[in-house]
Amino acid sequence: MLPEEIPLLSVVELANYIEKKEITPLETVRAYLSRIEKFDPKLNSYITVLADQAEQDAEIAGQEISNGNYRGPLHGVPVAVKDQIHSEGIRTTDASQIRTDFIPNEDATVLANLKAAGAILLGKLNMSEFALGDPISSAFGPAHNPWDLNRSPGTSSTGSGAATAGFLCATSLGEDTGGSIRGPAANCGLVGLRPTWGRVSRYGVDGACWSIDTIGPISRTVADCAITIGAIAGFDPKDKYTRQISVPDYYAGLTKDITGMKIGIVKELMDTNTMGTDPVVIAAINAALEVFAGLGAEIQEISLPLTKHTGAVVRTITHTERVSLHPEWLRERPQEFHHNTRVAFMAANLIPAQVYYKAQKLRAVVRDQVLNAFKEVDLLIQPTSSGPANLMNLEPGVRSLEQAKKALVEGGFRGLYSLSGAPALSIPCGFTSESGTDLPLAMQIAGRHFEEATVLRAAYAYEQATTWHNRHPSIE
Amino acid sequence: MAPLSNEQVRALGYAVNLNIEEPDLTEVTHSINAILDSMAAINLPETNLVEPIPILLSGMED
Repeated sequence: MLPEEIPLLSVVELANYIEKKEITPLETVRAYLSRIEKFDPKLNSYITVLADQAEQDAEIAGQEISNGNYRGPLHGVPVAVKDQIHSEGIRTTDASQIRTDFIPNEDATVLANLKAAGAILLGKLNMSEFALGDPISSAFGPAHNPWDLNRSPGTSSTGSGAATAGFLCATSLGEDTGGSIRGPAANCGLVGLRPTWGRVSRYGVDGACWSIDTIGPISRTVADCAITIGAIAGFDPKDKYTRQISVPDYYAGLTKDITGMKIGIVKELMDTNTMGTDPVVIAAINAALEVFAGLGAEIQEISLPLTKHTGAVVRTITHTERVSLHPEWLRERPQEFHHNTRVAFMAANLIPAQVYYKAQKLRAVVRDQVLNAFKEVDLLIQPTSSGPANLMNLEPGVRSLEQAKKALVEGGFRGLYSLSGAPALSIPCGFTSESGTDLPLAMQIAGRHFEEATVLRAAYAYEQATTWHNRHPSIE
Repeated sequence: MAPLSNEQVRALGYAVNLNIEEPDLTEVTHSINAILDSMAAINLPETNLVEPIPILLSGMED
């Protein structure tokens, strides 16, 4: 195999070669570093590349494997994580000028878990500043979508989407509050899993909103996603809200059998008039439902009437809490924020307590509605976004009240599971062409709390019955 | 409710120790009005009986 072909392997394929000692971790890391050097000037997906450290870690991994101490499918596999996740001795910036000098003295639990599984950290990935807003808010410049460099890779785990789709890491971690794993996965044609809140430790991850933040994988295939979530999930005494619930072998559970599974389609999001859902997205979701039906699933329509409001509810809660974490920054160092972040933070400071309290009540109502839906069906399906990736507006600013409201409506595509805490996975379900460029479309598959295995199994069955995952962007 | 004006937003800023001026002021006004309008549009009378527990407690999913 040519070195430049190594990054094009899936984690499953790469792990097979590494376990058989047909490819070494060092060869793998060097192949990825070469690709990063070649393509990241276009994608801008990394904030920090750890070339020397990654080569040293790869040599150690290679020695362990040579000595018969193979740890599992992430051993020697190059990964990268959003720069919101603490890394011992390595700056963790939140893509903000305010945090460019912050060097944690401890790894976040998710990173420690990846390393314990043998993964090699290639670097820290770009993001929207403080995990809010558009890609342009990053102090390191925006990451670009590999499918079209002029389009958004999705927010806020911008680099996790761009690097994974661009084959600049084998798999990655993002953080999802209002949709920051699912959005980039959708825009970049990837599989992104927001796990159940409480399934994965948040310890050592800079917070946006304690009760909504989750950390999860953004990967190129369902199997790679299953392997990655398997490495980071589980109880952590450092995060008291992680549940002491056993973590199944997600990868082993990827059968294609979904016979008899009950799937609900969330009807409110299949509506062009109310939600602005692009007809090509609706057509793609309907085609996906036919695939599921062909695999033996039972399809029914589900109504969740508050869906269209969830973007506003999520924004109210998350922005209020986010600006409460370091209120002194906005008062003492306002010019160090990107303009868009500063405007969003200032607005969040003005949200009345009664509106915040109303949002918290609505969250409880939404959660009850989602829980009730899962008494009727095993899974819920809906679009991840209203359409394909947007062209990036490189000019900062909120132009009008209508623009601000539209952003809240768009947030409603991912709000149900941010508010309910249920697991939701975004997976490609088609392509559309705009200005001669093929762009991925995506659907969400959500399941009951702590039933990520069911979500992954359904996603795998769908993926293996379709060919979308075989299409990749050409960056040249 | 009528949208907040720039002057009202500036005054609210003073109340929370923020000096909000252009070029931020108009955009902050758009942003807070969008949130207030969108939240005001949600009318569910039964929320008076809802206890706003932010997370799923063990057993609630059963």
